[in-house]
Amino acid sequence: MVLEVFLVARKVLIIDDEDDIREVAALSLESVAGWEVVTANSGSQGLARAAEHQPDAILLDVMMPGMDGPTTFRELRKNPATSKIPVLLLTAKVQSSDQRRFADLGVEAVLFKPFDPMTLSTQIASVLGWS
Amino acid sequence: MNLVPHSRREPAANPASGQEAGGDSTGLAEALNRMWERFLPEIRERAALLEAAANAQAIGRFSAEMRQQANAAAHKLAGTLGTFNLAHGTELAREFESLTAPANPASIDSKLAVRLRSLSAEIHTIIESRS
Repeated sequence: MVLEVFLVARKVLIIDDEDDIREVAALSLESVAGWEVVTANSGSQGLARAAEHQPDAILLDVMMPGMDGPTTFRELRKNPATSKIPVLLLTAKVQSSDQRRFADLGVEAVLFKPFDPMTLSTQIASVLGWS
Repeated sequence: MNLVPHSRREPAANPASGQEAGGDSTGLAEALNRMWERFLPEIRERAALLEAAANAQAIGRFSAEMRQQANAAAHKLAGTLGTFNLAHGTELAREFESLTAPANPASIDSKLAVRLRSLSAEIHTIIESRS
């Protein structure tokens, strides 16, 4: 039952340098699904928060200054403490060449900006089999 | 890997309450409106960058640096506007991003300035109409 998806406490880490996107996503997951949300505004901060908080999933922006999403993903996979955490890329890039590049990384899924705040948690739950 | 495109035509359900999303959407919509107001100065700054770039293109002063800044601003607007239910704004910002991509041959087209000006004006109108 879909209801069960949101009865289980989940913790999601959102890594995005854009304040507005990060905060809307956090609001969405907290208010619609009731999940606990941890945020980071950079790849390096995300690595630290992932290891510290051990989230059930990570929502990772692709284009960030400094350490971008793909680099952050590879670093997450290198660390035994974070290597098993499912990662979903979040991107505004819609070209098929970009999508193929992301697919080759080995992430669980690619979600696209703009997202619908009402259904973001449902998308994540569906992809990760939390239903 | 799953690619999960966002579609606003999907029914928005709120499994947490077991009701249609509309039953709980008012609170989220109000929270999003407050966020929109908070991030509006930043969103306007991005739109102003597009306008400045379009004007610079029109007088032959569209530097590589300005192109990069405008392209990045358009990319961010593409991700942000639709999240605040301004889907057409996202479409226009994506076109602006595409036209200002470094490798885009359209960058030497004399009609580019006209289109960039039109796009930036439309985006401005869309932003202000929500404000």
